[in-house]
Amino acid sequence: MIRVAFDIGGTFTDFVLHDGDSRASHFLKVPSTPHDPAEAVLDGLAKLFDLAEVEAADIANVLHATTVATNAVLERKGAATGLITTEGFRDVLIIGRQKRYETYDLYIAKPEPLVPRRHIVEVSERLDQQGGVVQALDETSLDRAIDALLASGRETVAVCLLHAYANPAHEQAIRARILERAPGLAVSLSSDVAPKFREYERSNTTAANAYIKPIVENYIGQLELALQQKGFARELFIMQSNGGLVSPGIAKDYPIRIIESGPAAGVLMGGIVGREAGREHVITFDMGGTTAKLGAVDDGTPAIMPTFEIDHIRYKKGSGLPINVPAVELLEIGAGGGSIARVEMGMIAVGPESAGADPGPICYGRGGAAPTITDANLVLGYIDPDWFNGGTMALDMDAAARGIMAAIGAPLDLELGPAAWGIHLVATMNMENALRIVSVEQGRDPRRYAMIAFGGAGPMHAARLARAVGIPEVIVPQGAGIGSAIGLLQAAPRIDVSTTRVMELNQQAGPAIADVFGELEVRTRQEIDQFDSPAPPEWSRHGYMRYVGQGFEVRVDLPDGPIDQDFADRAIEAFNGAYLQKHKFLDPEARIEAVDWTLVATLPSGQEDSAIVQQHKPDAPARNGSRPAWFPEAGGYVETRIIDRQALAEGASIAGPAIIEDPDSTTVVLPGDVARISSAGHLIIDIGKEVAA
Amino acid sequence: MSRAAIDPITLTVIWNTLMSIAEELGTTLRNTAFSEGVREGDDFATAIFDHTGRLIAQGNFSPGHLGSMPACVRHAIDYFPPENLAPGDSILLNDSFMCSGHFPDTFQVMPVFLDANLVGYVACSAHQVDMGGAAPGSQKVHGVTESFQEGLRILPVRFVRGGEIDEDILRLVLGNVRMPDKVRGDLLAQHTANLSAANRLQQLFRDHGAETLADAYEIILDRSEVAMRKALAAVPAGTYSFEDCMDDYGPDTGPINIAVDITFDGRGAVELDFSRSSDAVPAAINSYINYTRAYAIFAIKVFCDALQPQTEGNMRPITVTAREGSFFNPAFPAPSGGRAILQIRIFDAINGAIAQALPHRAMGAFSHWSNPNIGGIDDRTGRPFVMYDLSLAGYGGHQGKDGVEALSPVMNCSNIPVEVHETHNPIRVRRLQFIPDTGGAGQWRGGCGLRKDIELLNSTAVLSHLGDRHLFQPYGLFGGQPGALGESLLNPDGNAEPLHSKGMYGLKQGDVVSFRLSGAGGYGSAGERDPAAIAKDIADGYVTEEGAINDYGWEPGKD
Repeated sequence: MIRVAFDIGGTFTDFVLHDGDSRASHFLKVPSTPHDPAEAVLDGLAKLFDLAEVEAADIANVLHATTVATNAVLERKGAATGLITTEGFRDVLIIGRQKRYETYDLYIAKPEPLVPRRHIVEVSERLDQQGGVVQALDETSLDRAIDALLASGRETVAVCLLHAYANPAHEQAIRARILERAPGLAVSLSSDVAPKFREYERSNTTAANAYIKPIVENYIGQLELALQQKGFARELFIMQSNGGLVSPGIAKDYPIRIIESGPAAGVLMGGIVGREAGREHVITFDMGGTTAKLGAVDDGTPAIMPTFEIDHIRYKKGSGLPINVPAVELLEIGAGGGSIARVEMGMIAVGPESAGADPGPICYGRGGAAPTITDANLVLGYIDPDWFNGGTMALDMDAAARGIMAAIGAPLDLELGPAAWGIHLVATMNMENALRIVSVEQGRDPRRYAMIAFGGAGPMHAARLARAVGIPEVIVPQGAGIGSAIGLLQAAPRIDVSTTRVMELNQQAGPAIADVFGELEVRTRQEIDQFDSPAPPEWSRHGYMRYVGQGFEVRVDLPDGPIDQDFADRAIEAFNGAYLQKHKFLDPEARIEAVDWTLVATLPSGQEDSAIVQQHKPDAPARNGSRPAWFPEAGGYVETRIIDRQALAEGASIAGPAIIEDPDSTTVVLPGDVARISSAGHLIIDIGKEVAA
Repeated sequence: MSRAAIDPITLTVIWNTLMSIAEELGTTLRNTAFSEGVREGDDFATAIFDHTGRLIAQGNFSPGHLGSMPACVRHAIDYFPPENLAPGDSILLNDSFMCSGHFPDTFQVMPVFLDANLVGYVACSAHQVDMGGAAPGSQKVHGVTESFQEGLRILPVRFVRGGEIDEDILRLVLGNVRMPDKVRGDLLAQHTANLSAANRLQQLFRDHGAETLADAYEIILDRSEVAMRKALAAVPAGTYSFEDCMDDYGPDTGPINIAVDITFDGRGAVELDFSRSSDAVPAAINSYINYTRAYAIFAIKVFCDALQPQTEGNMRPITVTAREGSFFNPAFPAPSGGRAILQIRIFDAINGAIAQALPHRAMGAFSHWSNPNIGGIDDRTGRPFVMYDLSLAGYGGHQGKDGVEALSPVMNCSNIPVEVHETHNPIRVRRLQFIPDTGGAGQWRGGCGLRKDIELLNSTAVLSHLGDRHLFQPYGLFGGQPGALGESLLNPDGNAEPLHSKGMYGLKQGDVVSFRLSGAGGYGSAGERDPAAIAKDIADGYVTEEGAINDYGWEPGKD
């Protein structure tokens, strides 16, 4: 069986094709075509088929991750959107949660709402928190609201009424009336999109779904058509933010679920690589040109958050738009190859400002004038100036050195080596702080985790970072530069359905819990049954719980099996386990409250074997050699072995200091560490104990 | 001193690590706390001190505790000098004068030892849900005339000894508070958070050695002082004064005069003097000097150097004074539980004065806020309930920009969602919306006031109101108009009855209280406003056509 995966990113579209019978994989990268993303897809597929000598009709599955939904929000290029709310609550979306993301800055702006106030209209109706009707839906007010939206040319409408998570009847009646009057209009209901309490977050999620719906619908429709014309017989699958696949139909109805499509596939890849290396707990570390992203896989399962933010300002928590749909847990910070270094108060500071890809680092020679992390890594000898991106681009070492001396060395009275080292170290420290948030602060003991490092710059900083927090092993997978596409290849169809039902979790809670999961199962089946799967889904249950009076919930994995008499006891036990792990203490006297509930259905992935083994290798001669590289443990620049990864055989062992090069990433092995190639073809670095600087 | 011995890279590592420890202490505390103030309002602080009690690093949390923390730690050390401290000790205190100005803020100060040597302190504060006294939350304003009515006052005590919490002290505290389980949880959370920070600080000392750390500390303090002095020296020298009024301090009381004289010496120092303000008042709203200082320093940082890391060094050039016995420097036992309402007014006053020196940095006055509590016994459960609410509206306009709508002003809080309130309390929110035409007109318009109507579903309840700007409008600047006055009404749709901004009222089932915040001040003359901005305001409904005609001389039908 042949599967093809492609991930459309901002700069490149990555492809991987895997033939399950011959166990061969082919990787490809082509420039993205933002004006018409399908163009790069078709172009790449044609090349890939030539490479693999297959035809479109041979392909069993096509799997896809895309940034089209994200970009529509980031660039505010969504459709003309209207919002219908409960009378008296027109301003919920604009008021937001009101907290400044920077306490000491009173000049900040709030994120631009996706729907301007003039297009937010009210209807007379009211529900209570149990879903009871306090005031019936008033038809006259509804028609008046629809009149206003139609008159102003709205193409898509979001409906978010107070407490609609507890009773969808009024929202459904509104949709029916809208479609009666304007059959073509796209309608998104909060009770469908994100039926959980907290009206601002639900309104924003629903508005975002409505805002991107026409664009995503159109995009997927075109892609399907183009693939059909090329002779694909089978269905396309789309990656969701939760790391599971959905059908194009569901993605069109709920485009908000595919916002973090690419990053989710990256974390999934981390899980797959970890499993191949016998690691159930991994931290994924993806460092690219502008940012670094950290994710986690616990017990073999990518960590999922019930909510996330998009459109951050300076990567500050609370500065973006909250989206209440499950997504892989990711922390993104402004530390990438292009992050700019400067002097502040006599110290080195790095990022979050980035030179991006254009003009890029000084060494690209495209007009960049500020020294970046990439410039420092070049000067430190970690990057080969003549073999960047597999030799496709020559780097200007002298210009990088001059830039670093001017901006950092001279003001701080440092020589070039220490100045460049300072940039590298500060960048690593910034990532260390983020890594502490992902690990220690979430109750994850770094000593039990392996780090999967990928992205162009990740493997250069990974060993240093792992050492700083006590992670014993770094794994640099094969194809580190196209990690997301590989993750896609092994993804499985998955549906997450959630709701809010606030209740005290005590011994009597069993029947109420059974009730909630009964409802969730009905909703989940409506979606999972759309997949044409021979195997039944696997189910898992989760609750978001806290002690009564607390404001933050802990995610609790609830037991499988029938919800019988002692289910509540087992749920309490599960809460205790999860709470203890995260917060390191329990309060046996406090009452437990459950807030949100999630049911997850997963179908088996079509992919049984690993796509990463047996990578096709070119028959080029090994590029081994040496050059000076900076290791403070060794006192500065030392002649360092350079090793061509493609030429490394399984079982080969390399003691640091060493630099291992691949066309799309470079791995730095520190003194005291030992790297080897695993049977699955991954580079595994055993992190030694701290060596005094 | 061998300061030159530290290279910039080591210094960077040390300073970044110190700030990271202080930040992590805060996130740990926030994630485990029960109190709404801590988890929603970031009403807590964290800090690292050297072995002599100088502030070296602080997390970016409540400004109210920023200036309070150094004084608090000094008082703790006065009671427990280093020779009386041992590894595993921790000091607890909450005195209004020593700490941040009211009893609910408990501070824990933990000495950190390495090889039996005291190497520094870590400390954190947290706003507890209750510290006993006259009313739930320990912040009742009207009718509270001395501190002894405000609950439990804790002078510094050794709360933890040899790593074990003193159960006797804990029992004494918990016996005096309304929600002992939550207070207990938060006191433990503070201790746990301090412990993890102490561990990391020890590791930092192990990695670099006490001598290097001592040198680094001197550089950190000096550099931050130099940076602050440089920022202050850029402000034109002179004395800038401003006066404004609080409405009153309860029903049947008079206004409180808020006056500030700010002197920049042009060489990098500033003095803020609140002495011309009113005397302390017999209501729990007085601002102890630590609190006055905290928000004065906050304001100076906002205007001059907002994002610099906080240390004792950058506080050195800032002197905050107020006449003893005055509203901004009362003597114990002046009551102060509700002093949080003042943070906006301290900022507003300084802003008004700074406008003369830095017109491009100043903004129209905030639309104030309201912080009512509605409490009683829930008919459904027989348990007490308290609906603690925050209403936050607009910012004043400033040069080049309209005031932001509905953003937390000086203190940095989240609001509490309507659906969360209704799930936990027997109330129903009837409306939550902007009030058009309330933002002060100007070239740059002030933000609108906000209306929130709450209906009581329970048989009875008591409303303790805490608001202001019902009598004195938020000022505008440079020709900008003031924001509209706020008001509070009982049953606005029937026989509306005005409520006092700081009164206590009995409510019965079906009563609706309408809280209407004032608008924020405008900046620059309304005649200078871009007609396109006026048209946009009308389309979005922030300004009505009638309001545009009255305030901006707008002509209907004319583009």
